[in-house]
Amino acid sequence: MTTSRPEKHTSGPRTERAPAGAPSAAPARTLAEELRGRPDDSLAALLRARPDLLNPVPGDLTQLATRAGTRASVVRALERLDRFTLQVAEALAVAPDPCPYATLDALMGGDAPEDPRIAAELPRAVAALRDQALVWGAEDQLRLVRTVRELLAPSAAHPSPTGLGPSVAEATAGMSPGRVQQIIAAAGLPATHDPVTAVAALTELFEDRARMSALLDTAPAEATAVLGRLVWGPPYGTVTAEPAAHLRWLLDRGLLLPAGPGSVLLPREVALHLRAGRAHRAPEPVAPELAPVTEHSPRVVDATAAGQAFTALTTVEDLLKGWETGGPLVLRAGGLSVRDLKRTAAALDATEQAAAFWTELAYAAGLLASDGEVDERYAPTPAYDEWLLLPAEQRWTRLATAWLAATRTAGPVGGRDAKARTLAALGPDLDRAPAPEVRHRVLALLATLPQGGSVTPETLLGRLRWERPPRGAVTGGAPAGRPGTAGAPPHAPHDDLRSRLALWTLTEAEMLGVTNRGALTDHGRALLGAGGTEGAPWRPAGEAELGAAAVRAAARLAPLLPEPLDHVLLQADLTAVAPGPLRRPLAQTLGVLADIESKGGATVYRFTPGSVRRALDAGRTATDLKTFLTEHSRTPVPQPLSYLIDDVARRHGHLRVGAASSYVRCDDEAMLAEILADRRSAPLRPRRLAPTVLAAQVPPDALLDGLRAMGYAPAAESAEGDVVVTRADAHRTPPRTAPTPVPEGPPVPDPTLLGAAVRAIRAGDMASTAERKPTAAPASGGLPRTTSADTLATVQAAVLTGAAVWIGYVNAEGAASQRVIAPVRVEGGFVTAYDHTADEIRTYPLHRITGVAELVDDTV
Amino acid sequence: MNGPLIVQSDKTLLLEVDHEQADACRRAIAPFAELERAPEHIHTYRLTPLGLWNARAAGHDAEQVVDALVTHSRYPVPHALLVDIAETMDRYGRLKLMKHPVHGLVLESTDRPVLEEILRSKKVQPLVGARIDADTVAVHPSERGQIKQTLLKLGWPAEDLAGYVDGEAHPIELEEDGWTLRPYQRQAVEGFWHGGSGVVVLPCGAGKTLVGAGAMAQAKATTLILVTNTVSARQWKHELVKRTSLTEDEIGEYSGTRKEIRPVTIATYQVLTTKRKGIYPHLELFDSRDWGLVVYDEVHLLPAPVFKFTADLQARRRLGLTATLVREDGRESDVFSLIGPKRFDAPWKEIEAQGYIAPADCVEVRVNLTDHERLAYATAETEEKYRYCATTATKRKVTEALVRKHRGEQTLVIGQYIDQLDELGEHLGAPVIKGETTNAQREKLFESFRQGEISVLVVSKVANFSIDLPEATVAIQVSGTFGSRQEEAQRLGRVLRPKADGHEARFYSVVARDTVDQDFAAHRQRFLAEQGYAYRIVDADALLTGGDAA
Repeated sequence: MTTSRPEKHTSGPRTERAPAGAPSAAPARTLAEELRGRPDDSLAALLRARPDLLNPVPGDLTQLATRAGTRASVVRALERLDRFTLQVAEALAVAPDPCPYATLDALMGGDAPEDPRIAAELPRAVAALRDQALVWGAEDQLRLVRTVRELLAPSAAHPSPTGLGPSVAEATAGMSPGRVQQIIAAAGLPATHDPVTAVAALTELFEDRARMSALLDTAPAEATAVLGRLVWGPPYGTVTAEPAAHLRWLLDRGLLLPAGPGSVLLPREVALHLRAGRAHRAPEPVAPELAPVTEHSPRVVDATAAGQAFTALTTVEDLLKGWETGGPLVLRAGGLSVRDLKRTAAALDATEQAAAFWTELAYAAGLLASDGEVDERYAPTPAYDEWLLLPAEQRWTRLATAWLAATRTAGPVGGRDAKARTLAALGPDLDRAPAPEVRHRVLALLATLPQGGSVTPETLLGRLRWERPPRGAVTGGAPAGRPGTAGAPPHAPHDDLRSRLALWTLTEAEMLGVTNRGALTDHGRALLGAGGTEGAPWRPAGEAELGAAAVRAAARLAPLLPEPLDHVLLQADLTAVAPGPLRRPLAQTLGVLADIESKGGATVYRFTPGSVRRALDAGRTATDLKTFLTEHSRTPVPQPLSYLIDDVARRHGHLRVGAASSYVRCDDEAMLAEILADRRSAPLRPRRLAPTVLAAQVPPDALLDGLRAMGYAPAAESAEGDVVVTRADAHRTPPRTAPTPVPEGPPVPDPTLLGAAVRAIRAGDMASTAERKPTAAPASGGLPRTTSADTLATVQAAVLTGAAVWIGYVNAEGAASQRVIAPVRVEGGFVTAYDHTADEIRTYPLHRITGVAELVDDTV
Repeated sequence: MNGPLIVQSDKTLLLEVDHEQADACRRAIAPFAELERAPEHIHTYRLTPLGLWNARAAGHDAEQVVDALVTHSRYPVPHALLVDIAETMDRYGRLKLMKHPVHGLVLESTDRPVLEEILRSKKVQPLVGARIDADTVAVHPSERGQIKQTLLKLGWPAEDLAGYVDGEAHPIELEEDGWTLRPYQRQAVEGFWHGGSGVVVLPCGAGKTLVGAGAMAQAKATTLILVTNTVSARQWKHELVKRTSLTEDEIGEYSGTRKEIRPVTIATYQVLTTKRKGIYPHLELFDSRDWGLVVYDEVHLLPAPVFKFTADLQARRRLGLTATLVREDGRESDVFSLIGPKRFDAPWKEIEAQGYIAPADCVEVRVNLTDHERLAYATAETEEKYRYCATTATKRKVTEALVRKHRGEQTLVIGQYIDQLDELGEHLGAPVIKGETTNAQREKLFESFRQGEISVLVVSKVANFSIDLPEATVAIQVSGTFGSRQEEAQRLGRVLRPKADGHEARFYSVVARDTVDQDFAAHRQRFLAEQGYAYRIVDADALLTGGDAA
């Protein structure tokens, strides 16, 4: 509806924004007014940065401005500022309101600017604050939104992060005029009876560097020391009823002012003088550099990470395979019991923390869920079976993308929540909303390093904390009236959630093979997408975007993964060594036929009577097994091994006759012949072992059923004992979807939504602020009133001219509203019009239109 | 990325022996990785903290280890494993045992927190004396071995820089007339001497006695030799007189029958561990002379009390000799920490390839028990089962058939149970050597066996070790000490002395099928199988019916 500006407003102190159709170029008087003057894409940027303003879509710009000033929204916005921008906001909070740009510059840089970067970066910070509607006003009178000032300004209850105290005026507010007079006199200022003038004079003295220096030169040494202790904050100290001489000297001159019974404070102006005008002890104008970079060979990094990626796959597979039968029970409160986690960790030969990560990973990827039965257990999902069929690189990207997007984190597992309950793996309360963003950011930062480069976690955390200072820094200005929050709680270096998330991300990325030796791999970069558009706020990648990234990553990973082999080496000490990963069917069969002794790049299998028996139990025969081994061995099958198989098979045969259940035994040889000859027995796959014994390769119950169906009356011989004939069926949950990420706050809007929202706000704003032709003379209720004939005429005229009109409208529920519409046609008692307020073509019954008025000036 | 080595996550290393770079790789990893198994195609090495620390002690650093792994590995080596190696190796040498001019033996640390940590351990406290300064603490000299062992268990191995006493000098020379030390024996002696103390692992029949003699010739000091039994003691004496400048008079025997203490004294473990009224009366032997060298023969058999005495001998050079450093009690690490790390190790098949031990054909003869025997076996008490199945009449018949088959060859029949052996001796018309046979009688029988006057000898487990019978070419094992791996290897060792005509040795193990005998046999064979001895399995029936399956 208005002009759209292709370029982004990011640089330079903006002196004036070209107002889009604004009636005047006069400085804005309110935030709403200024917003009205901003171009659409600037509004869109604001809404993108603070999506909570969009819920629900504000009716007009006044509403938007009001909402932008609410405490919750401001706190949220402040939390998302980088450290320097926050420092600028803090400086503005201790500066006069409005504050000229030069004053702010001086506050940040000090009287004698040392760091040119501060001056260089300041415009960026101011622009950022302005973009977020935290600061408004012209350059010579920057105004901090009132709520921001309240949150950041120092007061006794919550000192400012700047360490500055209240100003002289604030501190002397409750002081008796007589006392003020004394101070004036002691400071050597001309006496005045007006306390306001007196305070102004004192403030002026404190702000005058030359006179102040002269005054302080006369201070006793102890007094200077006291000031030195208070200068960088906290600016409060205690005094006894009878202060020592040097304290008295300071108190007399107002260099310390009483803050309450027994306590004094250092006025802001004095502190600023002592700090040479600097609001912050250490302004951090630019993000800490990611240095020093440790360079590793990118080839080694990629290859080792690929190895780790492969390990990740086998670990997840081992985990779920173990849970195929008799997976762990789901706790009543949800999640995995500590004992089950321990057991899992032991099975995976990993720490409990790592085991929690693997289970959460499988869960996030939708490979694992609870089966929802009466005694609820965890089991692989049907998706797991599909996953198994994928090539290795795709299996990996499936895990990696699930990890990247999940809000669930394994990091807190084993810790305790606010109610001191242990957080269980797979349990509730593991969602950490910022997790996907932090993961993404950590990897994006690593991606800025040269290939194979890594930095220490501390460096990375430092950078992250600069980009998004921990919450404590903001909650220093906690809601007023909440007692006992004096002073930000001391934060351990890595104690805040984002830092912990970042540390978890680093270890998890390493375990997944996204990074190696702290360096992002090539496939990791591909996974990250097209370089993570620097500067734009992060938003969760869409399905398609993630899919494309996964395909790219898979393509880069695939050549690094070891080629699956189809052979093993058999040795006389009854071991088989697979010198690399094996093809799936081979690995599966071998896994049954032999015990795995050692895993890694290669797999060492050991044949034992037990393992061979297991293979026989699974329906293989000795001949089968020997053929299988001959086919897949590069070396001749050693004699002891074939002996072992024969020996076990021989005894296994005995066992089957005596106790196995998948056989039919009958003294009547003819009857067995009959069963064999019967075509219906084909599905049972009967095999005659002896004249009186028939074996079937189906489970006993199926065999029984089959025989019964054929009209026999078989009896099960024995179902108990340690002879379990076949592997139980792998257990699966019903189809389950993976848990969806639970982001914090409203979703980040996409451009379409933003555009629509901006148009809607504009239109609403126009509706509420458009000046109308006085002739319309709307009633005091606000709705225009015209006769139905006038209405019809005006609307018809508008159709011809294409002009927009302002109507009063009562809907079917009887609710009245004002709308700005551009009528398209009028027929059958209905007006079809483009509704600027709703931003769509709508049809209005004429009889519901209370009145119509032309707009003063066709701004639409 | 196509090396012969595969690094597993459980810290085993798989070496593909047929790979062209296998030899280079083996040389690169040998200093720090323990060879665990050496079958035909893939050898397994293991990385252990002990192995890594020994490598550190021998002057290798973590970088070399990591480099060796990375260079030869086929797949990328997990970074965590490399970090772990570096960290493990870094633990070595933070603590040092030193000789202090004033305070005597002291423990010094370059890392104060480590010292604080170990001093807080209850196990260390009784072993140390006064704190000398922040980084040093005095150690009771008598606890030198104990503290080393304890620190090793705590994971902070101490570097022992306190040195050795030279002992009482005594001239000993090798007399290499018509023979020389074999290259690997020379390497073993050098490896031991440079390391100060340690264990040399050589296959049976590869001439460990000469390694001992070589070490003595290096030490040139009074020597205490500890052996398993009297016969072995006599053989040592015989060898030493033959191979070195020592004379009969210089060598004493300290055993149940004789108590001689000479510049070179050979004592049996048995006499040392004889306990009378709660004390070990023969312990003073250790202090009776200023020994410059203590040799432990068959160190894998070192009885527990000797471990304790050995802990007190840390200032003397110690040499351990063995063929099979596997202990069913798992005390290998005590051997390493008290006697010293492995200084030399040669795979059996390698020595065989060099022709210093005879190639051997190992055959497991599976005997089907008769129905009657099976029934009796099935109803036997659990603790009697092995005895029963190991001594069945069927086995005896098979054994006799085997002896007949090898008529004319020098044959040893080895067993565990005296009744069985007596019976066998009777049926075969062969003399039996068992525990109650006097030493004189034993030596006489061994001598006539060596001379070929008798061709079949039935022996009990007294002949497991250190019996030198070069002419034996066939050994038939009828029963054993349950699943003892080292016994199996030692028994095979009886026939591994190289034969004059390069003849292949035969080792039969007669096993009753489908009984615990078979399970024990499988366990017993593991060591040899892992050394590359592939057992053949033969059915006794085929053997008895005259088919030449063996």
